[in-house]
Amino acid sequence: MFRIDRECLGEHSLPETREVERGAIRKFAQALGLANPLHFSSEAARAAGFRDLLAPPTFAITLLSWNVPGVQWPAEGVIHGEQTLRLGEPICAGDVITVSGWVDDVKSRRAARGSMHIVSLVSQGFHQWGQEAFWAKAVLIVTENEEAPHADRR
Amino acid sequence: MQIGDELGPFTVRVTREQLVRYAGAADDYNPIHYDDEVARALGLPGVIVHGMLNMGLIARFILEALPPLTAVVDYHVRFRQMVRPHELLTIRASVSGIEDPFVDFEVTLQGEQARPAVTGRLRVRLPAGPTPR
Repeated sequence: MFRIDRECLGEHSLPETREVERGAIRKFAQALGLANPLHFSSEAARAAGFRDLLAPPTFAITLLSWNVPGVQWPAEGVIHGEQTLRLGEPICAGDVITVSGWVDDVKSRRAARGSMHIVSLVSQGFHQWGQEAFWAKAVLIVTENEEAPHADRR
Repeated sequence: MQIGDELGPFTVRVTREQLVRYAGAADDYNPIHYDDEVARALGLPGVIVHGMLNMGLIARFILEALPPLTAVVDYHVRFRQMVRPHELLTIRASVSGIEDPFVDFEVTLQGEQARPAVTGRLRVRLPAGPTPR
């Protein structure tokens, strides 16, 4: 069941660290059909000036945290409406990214049968030496259906 | 490169295998992307493609058309329609702004429905060196 506590808006989750592995970058790149050797060959990536395999741009989204203060996500029925992604210092294999997330806005309204909530979930990731790796904002649409009235309910 | 210049169109189809690979790679195990029964029970026509996979595909084709070492710096998309596996997807990008070394593109991913499934804008930073074309 979806629950949101508006008092927690803007409150950051406890930072979590993510170790970026070579295999994770390769599998992600493969899933998108990428062929750029920077995502597959450490030698190619180093020759181009990167620390190790370069993560594809949208890889950052796999690092973010959904576990933010004040929100209990429903098991199903969350629709991804929009996504913003700003990328800073590149993410490479071997990096340790510290991630935290928060809800920066919620709009709720009555829908045909129940209610609809538009939740902005923001996440930010930093490299181990402090530079920002990414800032991401997902706009998520959560619909809650009230149970249809039952004929024999008194 | 000038304002109004277009990249593409690029066409691609997402297979069911790719959905499963993406779910694993992105650690996104929402069953609407691999289990038809669950998807139908939720009122969908069957499994649908991850919005983030579509977002990743748009970036892939744009970067493949630009010089090596071009980097995405700012990217925003709106997911407007569902995309089914095996649908023919057409990706288009047109230059909407130039602020050396940055270039902005308006992007769309169109499936087999009348309206685009994904629209957005993407800002890249071109590598130092001669500007393409």
